[in-house]
Amino acid sequence: MSIKHIANLYAYRQLIWQLAWSEFKLRYKNSVLGYFWSLLEPLLMLTVLYYVFSHLMRLQIENYQLFLLLGIIIWNFLSRATGIGMNSIVGKPSLIKKIYFPRDIFVISSCLTALLMSVFESIVFALFMIYFKVPLSIYVLQAPVILICLLILSVGLSLALAALNVIYRDVQFIWAVLLQAGYFATPIMYTIEIFPADLRSIALLNPIARVIIAARDTIIYSSPVQTNDLVFMIVAAVVFLFAGYFIFNRIEPRFAEEI
Amino acid sequence: MPVIEVENLEKSFRIPHEKKTTLFEALTGIFKPESYEVFHALHNINFDVEEGEFFGIIGENGSGKSTLLKIIAGILYPSSGKVHIRGKITPFLELGVGFQSDMTAVENIKTYGTIMGMSKSDIKSRTDDILEFAGLEKFRDTKLKNFSSGMQVRLAFSTAIQTDPEILLMDEVLAVGDMDFQQKCLDVLNSYRKEGVTIVFVSHDLGSVRRFCDRTLLLHKGEQIALGNTAEVIDKYVYGEQEKNISEATHNVVESDPAILAEDQTSLNNSRWGDQKVEILNVEFYDKFGNLSNRFNSFDVMTIRILYNAHKKVLDPIFGIALYSEKGENLFGTNTELRDIMIDHIEGKGHIDLKIESIPMLSGRFLLTVAIHSRTHDPYDWHDKLYHLDVIPTGRDAGLFDVPCKWII
Repeated sequence: MSIKHIANLYAYRQLIWQLAWSEFKLRYKNSVLGYFWSLLEPLLMLTVLYYVFSHLMRLQIENYQLFLLLGIIIWNFLSRATGIGMNSIVGKPSLIKKIYFPRDIFVISSCLTALLMSVFESIVFALFMIYFKVPLSIYVLQAPVILICLLILSVGLSLALAALNVIYRDVQFIWAVLLQAGYFATPIMYTIEIFPADLRSIALLNPIARVIIAARDTIIYSSPVQTNDLVFMIVAAVVFLFAGYFIFNRIEPRFAEEI
Repeated sequence: MPVIEVENLEKSFRIPHEKKTTLFEALTGIFKPESYEVFHALHNINFDVEEGEFFGIIGENGSGKSTLLKIIAGILYPSSGKVHIRGKITPFLELGVGFQSDMTAVENIKTYGTIMGMSKSDIKSRTDDILEFAGLEKFRDTKLKNFSSGMQVRLAFSTAIQTDPEILLMDEVLAVGDMDFQQKCLDVLNSYRKEGVTIVFVSHDLGSVRRFCDRTLLLHKGEQIALGNTAEVIDKYVYGEQEKNISEATHNVVESDPAILAEDQTSLNNSRWGDQKVEILNVEFYDKFGNLSNRFNSFDVMTIRILYNAHKKVLDPIFGIALYSEKGENLFGTNTELRDIMIDHIEGKGHIDLKIESIPMLSGRFLLTVAIHSRTHDPYDWHDKLYHLDVIPTGRDAGLFDVPCKWII
């Protein structure tokens, strides 16, 4: 991960985009109906969770629909980015074995595909914001910084998972279980206050928890992001990215032989 | 200035006996020593390819050609040694890399074109040309899964040739199509060559290699056997591997050992007969260098040697041969009687040679019958189509045989 490598990636920007875009279109089966159905999934999830938590568990959270939807969208992004990214190497044997590009291109474009899908889902979120007449504040300008941290973090995580998945094919199953656990360990359906104080500090070690909290604060609740949260997220993003590249580059020479 | 420099290149693969493909296996087997075999795919390879050169790589299956090409392309990493590339590499190792069956022809052109390194504007302006060249204008919005495999190959090929490569790596996968398609490939190669593109060409088709390549590298079991002038390297390939050829040639030999004879009797019954007064011990083919071989360039010199053993004195024997195509059509036959050669008598072991000044067969496998019989046509020993030789094309004419001719305008 050097300046030279970034310049190299920039030279391949067209390919990265083309791969991301065609994957995105494929996911939605290239049809208008496909896009429509893909929106139903988070909406259905929202309906179920909303009913369970606000009527059965009587959770009192201001703008709970939006709270929940933003959490779901962010978590979905992470889960998709790592899911698609993890299979971006093992799933494209001909591109790995018959032609050469810097292989991180495939992982990056997978994360972009996930981003496209999340942007698409965010349309629903924006409509909800308008419907519930939630006012935006100046702090919403902090949101992009948070989301960029999320993107970089996901790229780092996907790089490591994609590479490990080449050698150990059960990594994808282990990761699926971890994601499932993470879904409950992250304040998606509830606030962080639901955790007992001693567990709370552990839960906050999860950078995604902070991303979700910060995103809600800036976008829905018109409040600024906490400085320590911001620093934590930026550091986490950088650490994940470098760790991801470290693992990826170690295993990358074996890709064409192992697939 | 060479655009590809390969120095002391080594490549070995570790092939584990029991492959650990899961984290679970890796953890449970952490104390078990990993046993593996090392396969040396390439050993001490050294060559340069100059700018604009057409460079061939030949060798039989498993000689490391494709591995070498993949290392040059950057797909595989060398175990040691250096590969230095100056310029942009376009690998044609497989056509249609990254094709998505759920996408339309136009979308696939976009993706594949990008993969092959074309710019967005180039793809846009050439899409119609590509479809036209592939003959698929009507199917531009048809999903690829509804294409026949031939249509897919045409689409991939038409797209691939729109790229402007600096260094082109070609594997023989391109030679899978029909005659017409192969010709198209060769035409494209020729036009690239005229444009001064550097081409590294891996092929089994020695005819094409001879026709195009300025220099050629011969690999055998990962070793660099020969490098240089194409015609000389091909000669080495065709005639060079004496060990292998002898073993193959003697494979057909009918042993005089009675035990083996009895064992083979049933299979040989239909292809060998005669009263054995004179026995054919072996038939050997010699190439232009005087080495045993059963692979020959067409138009080269070859000698057929019949080794015999006359168990007692036999007067006035006649030696004959007949040549068949692989399908069993008789192509040619001659014997000492027809050529008015008188052999007074033979006794004990000996041999007789038939020299062919210029092999007229163009390409393929040919079967040979060898016989010794009396003037009254009673066979002493008759080996029916028991021998074969392979002819490797050197020219471009089609068919089994050369007919000396020329066009006059």
